[in-house]
Amino acid sequence: MILPRFDVLTPATVTEACALLAAHTAAGVRILAGGTDLLVELRRPIIPQHVPRCDGCPTHPEGAVFSTIDCTMWNSEPLMAAGGSVRAAVKPPAFLLSLHKLRDLRGLQKRTDGSLRVGACTTITDIERSRDIREGWTALAEGADNLGSPLVRNRGTVGGNIANARPAADTAVPTIALRATLVLRSTSGIRTIAAADFPTGPGKTIINPGEILTYIEYPAPAKYSGSAYHKLANRKALEISTVGVAVYLALETPGGPVADVSVALGAVGPKPLAAASVGPVLLGRIPDETAINDAARAAMEDARPIDDHRGSAWYRLQMVEVLTRRLLKTALARAEGKK
Amino acid sequence: MKKLITLTVNGVLHELAVEPRRTLLQVIREDLGLTGTEKGCGIGDCGTCTVLVDGVATFSCLTLAVQVEGCAVETVESLAENGKLNALQQAFVDHGAVQCGYCSPGMLMTSTELLRRNPHPTEQEIRRAISGNLCRCTGYQKIVEAIQAAAGGQHE
Ligand SMILES: Cc1cc2nc3c(=O)[nH]c(=O)nc-3n(C[C@H](O)[C@H](O)[C@H](O)COP(=O)(O)OP(=O)(O)OC[C@H]3O[C@@H](n4cnc5c(N)ncnc54)[C@H](O)[C@@H]3O)c2cc1C
Ligand code: FES
Ligand code: FES
Repeated sequence: MILPRFDVLTPATVTEACALLAAHTAAGVRILAGGTDLLVELRRPIIPQHVPRCDGCPTHPEGAVFSTIDCTMWNSEPLMAAGGSVRAAVKPPAFLLSLHKLRDLRGLQKRTDGSLRVGACTTITDIERSRDIREGWTALAEGADNLGSPLVRNRGTVGGNIANARPAADTAVPTIALRATLVLRSTSGIRTIAAADFPTGPGKTIINPGEILTYIEYPAPAKYSGSAYHKLANRKALEISTVGVAVYLALETPGGPVADVSVALGAVGPKPLAAASVGPVLLGRIPDETAINDAARAAMEDARPIDDHRGSAWYRLQMVEVLTRRLLKTALARAEGKK
Repeated sequence: MKKLITLTVNGVLHELAVEPRRTLLQVIREDLGLTGTEKGCGIGDCGTCTVLVDGVATFSCLTLAVQVEGCAVETVESLAENGKLNALQQAFVDHGAVQCGYCSPGMLMTSTELLRRNPHPTEQEIRRAISGNLCRCTGYQKIVEAIQAAAGGQHE
């Protein structure tokens, strides 16, 4: 892999990282965590990326998830274009700010109020292997189980997965369903934002230049609650999901009515989505077959899928219903302590 | 501008001046001349570039050398003992788990990590552990059998 020329900044503390980030914003700097998204994005495009040739091409222009380095230019050298229109060239960054020395940002901390603080640089493998997460925030553990391959999980971080803001991101979808709060830090201080409000489109977030995602805070699960995530994909490893659904469900008492529910959808919109229509349909009801079916149908209203090579919009929409129904049942069984 | 880093590779401490954009794979192969580690896809899909970094199976093609400064790296060259294949390598040979051999360095390093962490893995655990290492020849069955045999501690 040939990477463009850049310098790497290696701060030793979060404060130093914020200062360096601010100082290099004008020159062009990107944050490097595991690099499993960023380095792929920066590499020299060997095969020119897909260039839209016809109207209505689903990869054009907002849905495109290929290299942001334009295929006609690389390090100011022209490359052959495959014809048709091409996107404006993006200059590779002059600096990467690597987070690898920031030990504080790696690891999990269970707090006295029962909530969980996860450092942005915690690897997907660390999440997959954490007992606390599997017990209390099962949907997140199941997201980690299904991300990429063991090699991807060993390098990739949860902060990188969320900040990269792909619609199918396997830990971002459960993070939204579990109603986590993201903590962003910059030289001007700390701000927090709900995980659902963080992504704004494919690869886009509300993060400002100069801000670092430092922690992800998962609230304590309610007493009678359960959560689950399912990734529908063609293979068990190294596959991007066709549809991903995460569910959190809490009951007032075992066998009692639904006290709280939250559903998040992946790969059926320009970003991971919170399915807001489910709550009004299910809250306060006994979660019997009819209630769950109604809730699963409601989730379809929030999905905005497109056709692509992984599946048609129609198929994805049906799968939102099927998966939401199944996952509500799984989360229900977990809430009642059955699984 | 080059950066000075230290890297322990197969027990030997190296001081290296590396360009920040160079990957661990490039440094291992080109600067250190350890060409056992292969380059396949270069983008994290195939796993043939796998080495262990502080004991963790890592694709060296998507890891910058400067990101692992100060770490201990193990490559496939570290496996043989006194010029003799170790039990895992011998099991790969005996079970026909090496055909073209392109995936072998990565498969060996990934399974080395697995067996250290979990000396007696089930077949499912083995299949999951090597799911980021592609092999286009063997159909995986022979690789799984080789790892099972090495885990059992015997090979003919
Ligand atoms: C072969 C392969 C398979 C994959 N399969 C999957 C999959 O199945 N599911 C899936 O969801 N993803 C998959 N990915 C994508 C990727 O591995 C994950 O998104 C991973 O979690 C990214 O984390 P990272 O630390 O490597 O991010 P990086 O590549 O380091 O960063 C990604 C982006 O986030 C920014 N960033 C990183 N950390 C921070 C921070 N703390 N604050 C602010 N911005 C930050 C970076 O600037 C960059 O823009 C795959 C990748 C590969 C190479
Ligand atoms: S060459 Fe590194 S994963 Fe393929
Ligand atoms: S032996 Fe040829 S790729 Fe595995």
